[in-house]
Amino acid sequence: MDLCFFPGCNMPAIRPDAESAIRHTMPALGVNLTNPDGYVCCPAFGSFPATDTESQFATSGWNLSLAEEQGLDIMVQCGSCYSSLHMGLEHLHEDKELRAKINELLKPTGREVNCTSKVRHVTDILYNEVGPEKIAENIKHKLDGVHGIVQYPCHTLFPSEVVGFEESPRRPVALRKLTEALGATVDSYSLEYQCCGGAGGFSKTSPAEADAFTKTKLDAIINETKAEFIVVSCITCLMYMDGIQQKLNKQAGEDIYNIPVFDYNQLLALCMGFDGHKVAAISKIPRESILRRF
Amino acid sequence: MEIDFNASNKNLWKEIYDNEDLHHCFNCGTCITGCPASHGNPPLLVRNLARMVILGLEEELLDDPTPWSCTSCTRCEEMCPMDVKPFELILAIRKWQSASDPTYIPTAVVDIYNRGYSQPVGVNTELRDKLGLPELPTITNQPEKLKLFREMLMKTPVISENDYMFMGDE
Repeated sequence: MDLCFFPGCNMPAIRPDAESAIRHTMPALGVNLTNPDGYVCCPAFGSFPATDTESQFATSGWNLSLAEEQGLDIMVQCGSCYSSLHMGLEHLHEDKELRAKINELLKPTGREVNCTSKVRHVTDILYNEVGPEKIAENIKHKLDGVHGIVQYPCHTLFPSEVVGFEESPRRPVALRKLTEALGATVDSYSLEYQCCGGAGGFSKTSPAEADAFTKTKLDAIINETKAEFIVVSCITCLMYMDGIQQKLNKQAGEDIYNIPVFDYNQLLALCMGFDGHKVAAISKIPRESILRRF
Repeated sequence: MEIDFNASNKNLWKEIYDNEDLHHCFNCGTCITGCPASHGNPPLLVRNLARMVILGLEEELLDDPTPWSCTSCTRCEEMCPMDVKPFELILAIRKWQSASDPTYIPTAVVDIYNRGYSQPVGVNTELRDKLGLPELPTITNQPEKLKLFREMLMKTPVISENDYMFMGDE
């Protein structure tokens, strides 16, 4: 299948190795990716969605129209982009008056939004289109005997009637099943479904409280599981779960938190035999404990 | 602080969030349970924000910074038993605050106006090359498209009413 891959801003700018993992793995599994030519910010919830309706949905409309002109659905990894593009699509689809107003704004740019392209998350594509069986058939290395935990991106779960692709948003399984398809053992723990805490304003407005919030989660992982890695499928979860471990270690003056964090496509890429220097090169917490298995 | 309910703006909810479902909120607090930012300082208490909007407590709401600590996880929207759509409410309050007091306008909108993104996308070409990545068709590298994007945004309220903020990088 062909999909228009919306890379967002954090991934290409800060963690392009995760983008590399997606661009290497997806075509090898039969998912060809095209580029949204001249795409802009999704828009992030802390930008135009926090100022006014017109700039918010004109920006969503701009991005949606890029996939529409290719006749393709959009694929996203970043949770915020996924949620914001969905919100744009939902409002523009349901509210014809709004859509007419936004199309007036878009008209001088030569663009038009018709809400014909769906917005899909990479986990949804991997789980529901490619499938864990095909993934298991296409890997060269297995993570047999390696324990990990999965961090579900909130933006892919809630509100389920708009963004959902799981049978139950309260008991998501896609990322777990996909990780198990790589041979790994996914451990459960008490705070499995808790937000990473990294998105939006919380970590900026209340840094000490936000640190404590995620520390509780990391402590639960350490105390209740045998996790040797954390697997995510959202660029914010990736950067935050990785960076906060380093921050907490510095605060404590000792290395307490050392669980390497991977985007799912990075683990997948490694298992498919792609070069770790290309697909998993950037992290705060060293990934050698996992990388040396490949 | 004593609140004078007689002096409150009873139509505030229409200005901020013209959605009848808001009035179905019965103060259960489900939106607070499980909310990451409810751990913040000050805590984000979505239920209280809904109450302030319904009661029309304009001054108190304008001074309340907590809508900006939301993580956008949207769990509240999933769990709200009365379909108030608390996350939409938070964004609506932010919009109203930004329109009422420009100091609330996030600087990210200036970056997006200037280069299309809040992050510098597409400038790390050497690193991208090393990772085997193609050049991205960003808007930053296509001046004609960026011009059209800016002209479109210039007609939207946040920019047309605060254009002095967006003149830096012409």
